[in-house]
Amino acid sequence: MAKYDIAISGGGPGGAYAAKTAAELGLRVVFFERARKSGEKNASGCGLGQRWWRDFPFIMDEIVELDSYREIHFCYFKITDSDDRLVTTISTAKTPKDDRRIQHKDHGYGMTGTSIYRSDLDPLLANLACNAGAELRTSTLITDVIKEKGRVCGLVTEKGEKIEADVVIGADGAHSLVAIASGIRKRWNKDQITLVPQLDFSCNEQRMDDVIGPAELVWFGPYCGAYQVNFRDGFHLGLGQWLDKWDTRPLDMVKRILKIPAFQAMCRSVDAELREYQVHLLPWMPHPGKSYGDGVLLVGDAGGFPCPLEGEGIWHACLTGRMAAETAAEAIAAGDVSEKALSAYERKWKQSAVGREYEFGQEYVNLWKNSAFDPEFMKKMVLFLGEVQSLNFPSPVFDWSDDHMKTFNDHLGHLLDLLPELSDFANHNIVPLGKGISTENRERIAGMISGSIKKKLPRIIPQRVIRSVVGRFLGLA
Amino acid sequence: MDQRDTKGGDFTGTSLLKLTFKVEGADPGEFITYDQSKCNSCGACSLVCSANLWAVKDKAKLSPRYQELCLECAACYAVCENDAIAFRYPNGGAGIIIKHG
Repeated sequence: MAKYDIAISGGGPGGAYAAKTAAELGLRVVFFERARKSGEKNASGCGLGQRWWRDFPFIMDEIVELDSYREIHFCYFKITDSDDRLVTTISTAKTPKDDRRIQHKDHGYGMTGTSIYRSDLDPLLANLACNAGAELRTSTLITDVIKEKGRVCGLVTEKGEKIEADVVIGADGAHSLVAIASGIRKRWNKDQITLVPQLDFSCNEQRMDDVIGPAELVWFGPYCGAYQVNFRDGFHLGLGQWLDKWDTRPLDMVKRILKIPAFQAMCRSVDAELREYQVHLLPWMPHPGKSYGDGVLLVGDAGGFPCPLEGEGIWHACLTGRMAAETAAEAIAAGDVSEKALSAYERKWKQSAVGREYEFGQEYVNLWKNSAFDPEFMKKMVLFLGEVQSLNFPSPVFDWSDDHMKTFNDHLGHLLDLLPELSDFANHNIVPLGKGISTENRERIAGMISGSIKKKLPRIIPQRVIRSVVGRFLGLA
Repeated sequence: MDQRDTKGGDFTGTSLLKLTFKVEGADPGEFITYDQSKCNSCGACSLVCSANLWAVKDKAKLSPRYQELCLECAACYAVCENDAIAFRYPNGGAGIIIKHG
């Protein structure tokens, strides 16, 4: 029977990064991939945020050389109404504060992210692990864990081969056999997991550069919002819905986007051709599940780590993979791989940038559940976003249907009509996020408000009283 | 394929299920099993299946061609309230290929 320090089920980003880290720490490590090579059965999730340059700069140097790489500076939200007419396009902005953002090799990456096919990325990450000394076994499905007196101490392959290890890491995705067989958790509940159908299109690279440029698109309307991730010469169109919320066939939902005229025009403009259809499960929950057990740790999707706001999971998988391998190495060195010793992993990720995201996990998930995934609400939201944009510069200048102040007041009146219908949503989903505003920013806001009130009140009320009342409203001590 | 299916931006008529890929000649094994006696006929498996492989009239019934058509998302297993469906992924090296994921 083979004996390793660490055995990992899963050859995606989480498994590969855990294997790389363990090998670099001098441990004997094996990781198993059920496909013929890493990336061949990937679960998509192909946008990498700019934090990759901060956390994995030397991997980014290799990622930019991959075939499907596209640098991303913007995201355009294409808002369409019930009749599939384009209402407005809302864009993210490139920050002028580049110097405050992520630097790598004297280059400020600003709002830049990256799109990359997982079928390109996963082999790269697996190679890094192998080059560090990890052993990769492909075409091998893990079907069980070995347990002795309740402790997980190895993996069993589909052929019945037993692989002994001091610590087992489950990096085997949303439907994690390691998580369930080791007894850490049962399968995810239906409100913790989303079903994500996705189409892949090829397109003309030059036209993509000229027409869309360094940008992702989001199609947003009275249907599930759909994301469009753009690669060098192709793009993904995908959408998701929690399993307890699907009331229509996933295929019909995808086709709903295909018939939007603005989407079809975009396809024509980049010579798009539809070439692949895929479906994945993606955990999307306010907080990850339990991530450790006796002799076992869970990373990436297996642990429920994707971001509760934008659903990215690769960065989370790599970082939790690294922290799991480090925890396992410390536990093995100390001769104690019990559940109690391995609970250090949870403390570690909770204190990291990964864990801080879940402080507002419930608020982030609610934000989506109560908006983009509710068609009736989205009908109102589309009208609201349209009116907000028609009041936003430069729209008032170019509404010349009547004298400008009249058209401005028409739009403002319509917006004021809509506000009461959206106030419940704002109170329940936006206001709770206010507690995330930093004390420094609250104090600056309090200073501005109390300054403007002071000018309108009699001098007898001292400034510090006004400041104290305003501060209390803003949650300041 | 008809020119309109792939050019001109309108893909509403394209048969999406033809745009999936499998490892040729590899046996995936029996990776979905189900117990009809546990089925409460709710139809959730049929609704969420992106490959239209489940029919629920009296009880849930899986297409006999599921090994060649399943997209391996495991949604049927995840959605079944009565635990009537078991899913364990195809044998290593067999089943679906994600070419551009």
